[in-house]
Amino acid sequence: MNAFLARNRLILLAYAGMVLLLVVTALFSPGFLSASNMRSTVVLAAFVGIVALGQTFVIVGGGIDLSVPWVLNSAAIIMALLCAGQDLPLIWVAPLVLAGGATIGLINGLGVAQFGVPPIIMTLATNVILQGLILVVTGGSPSPAAPSVIKFLSVGRIGGIPVIALIWLALTLIATLLLSKAAFGRHLYALGTSATVAEFSGVPTARTTVLTYVISGTTAALAGMLLTGYSGVAYLGMGDAYLFTSIAAVAIGGASILGGSGHYLGTVAGAMVLTILTGLLPALNLSSGALLVVYGAVILITVSLGSEAFAGLASTLRRSTRKT
Amino acid sequence: MVLAEKAPPHGGTHGSTRDWRGWALDRAPFLVACLMLLVIVGVYGSYQTGVFTLDELNLDTSAAMTLMLAATGQTIVLLRGGIDLSIGGMISLGTVIAATRFTDDPATVLFWSLFVLALGAAIGALNGLLISVLKLQPFLVTLATWSILNGTAMIILPTDGGSVPGWWLGFGYLTLFGLSSPVWMLLALLLFWWWFRWTRLGITIQATGSNEKSAFLSGVSITRVNVLTYGLSGLFAAGAALYLTTQTGAGSPTIGKDYILPSVAAAVIGGVSLFGGRGHLAGTLVGAFILTLIGNLVFVLKISSYWQPVASGVILLLSVLASSLAEKAARGRSA
Repeated sequence: MNAFLARNRLILLAYAGMVLLLVVTALFSPGFLSASNMRSTVVLAAFVGIVALGQTFVIVGGGIDLSVPWVLNSAAIIMALLCAGQDLPLIWVAPLVLAGGATIGLINGLGVAQFGVPPIIMTLATNVILQGLILVVTGGSPSPAAPSVIKFLSVGRIGGIPVIALIWLALTLIATLLLSKAAFGRHLYALGTSATVAEFSGVPTARTTVLTYVISGTTAALAGMLLTGYSGVAYLGMGDAYLFTSIAAVAIGGASILGGSGHYLGTVAGAMVLTILTGLLPALNLSSGALLVVYGAVILITVSLGSEAFAGLASTLRRSTRKT
Repeated sequence: MVLAEKAPPHGGTHGSTRDWRGWALDRAPFLVACLMLLVIVGVYGSYQTGVFTLDELNLDTSAAMTLMLAATGQTIVLLRGGIDLSIGGMISLGTVIAATRFTDDPATVLFWSLFVLALGAAIGALNGLLISVLKLQPFLVTLATWSILNGTAMIILPTDGGSVPGWWLGFGYLTLFGLSSPVWMLLALLLFWWWFRWTRLGITIQATGSNEKSAFLSGVSITRVNVLTYGLSGLFAAGAALYLTTQTGAGSPTIGKDYILPSVAAAVIGGVSLFGGRGHLAGTLVGAFILTLIGNLVFVLKISSYWQPVASGVILLLSVLASSLAEKAARGRSA
């Protein structure tokens, strides 16, 4: 039990922070814990959570994916254009868009793993290239409305539970199995801890790296389609906020940006924390500027709690209390 | 000396005879960047008259100077082996403070300009302190401070606005010997670099970026290096903010984010390594010129301006691939 606590200290801290925030928010705004409000919080968190799923895999593997904003945005716009508001085309459009996201991820992964391009530069480049291409394709004009099936997936409910929450739950299960039970997960942690050691231990490092970016491209594309359903239309710039929030969710969830540690279960709590904060500030009558300040402070605090220096301090304290 | 682990940007000779191929391989990314700039200027000049005039130089430099200042700070941080995302927040905050506090009285302008510069240096130093004392990753620390600074800017001025005195707006049009003030700033930046990189601090930053452990074992205080490195980056970001207000005449709580990743891109295109210890400000400034001139090029070629980000992304990838190929070739030669 103690070993479990030690190993997952940061993830548990993220959940503790989430519960604390819920209590504080409920004190300031009594209606916050109502079913309808919790539903909308979970729906908003799900978008962050889905984008951050791929980001988690990439970061655990020691990389970073800055291309999520325009993979998300391109997926949304291409889906809306190809479907033109109809449901039937989704049968081929949805797989096509997901495959497109995976392909961008594949390009990112190959650039990083095969050509040795730093992840920041590789994914930054694909992001601006996608941004430009989508602007060229659409000429900057807005796209048709989202198909109703997509709307159902992002705002509909089954037995009172938002459909997207069920999608998020299923994805969480898959991600947890991949990270905790599959060989891919073991390879990923080994790769993130030390690429050199992993390579010499027979871990297929190139393939593992490429796969993380493929997952990230796919989840960003999925989030793009679902977000179109939520907002009703696809619009330019709809993915911009998700670069910061997806990285922040992973960091708050306890993963090290250096790779090798962290878990998607932590990221889920991170996505919830970010979204609850968004709901807390209007209750306190604070502006969107204040929200950014709070976001920054929360990131600083959580990464400090996870730092070597803090862990060293904590163990020193424990030792000194045991002595007395 | 620690620097010898990775060949210093200049003065590295291969063997007893001066080997021009080794010399070129060491500087391949920078030379590729210069070549790209020449091609861009060449194409631009063949489509537009008056490109090879002082007026054009004055104009392009004044357009590129904000990015150049931001990228100068970023270059110092990259040489240290870090990254500074907070400059985006600092630039927003700087423009917002200037646009809300400046009055026609030059004394207030001077006071608040110095305040912005001091704030930039102090916040940068705080970044460096957090990174060293708490042993945190530069990426996350500066992401967090970016958010805090940007939020503060939005609290001070929620939407674009404010104003600066008219004479402040005229700064970019001041000329001396036919060269505008931004061109003189560019020369000053190069002069600063020529001096700075061989100062104690400059050498220490590059050595620490090359190999932190051996720098530490040689008696370098990592905390001090980090505080000074990120402090300088904050100072240059604040300078970029003040310069930007002479161009736009207003404050913007969101404008800073347009300079975060381009400042990294300018440095990388100019051959600065993201792994620390390698690079030169001249390269960064060439990179900033390239990124700025792509916009002009797209305009004179009469193609959709939406191609601009595509072109800058492709150039970024090409230059990174060129430098990784050159590094491989250089390693093959030394092995």
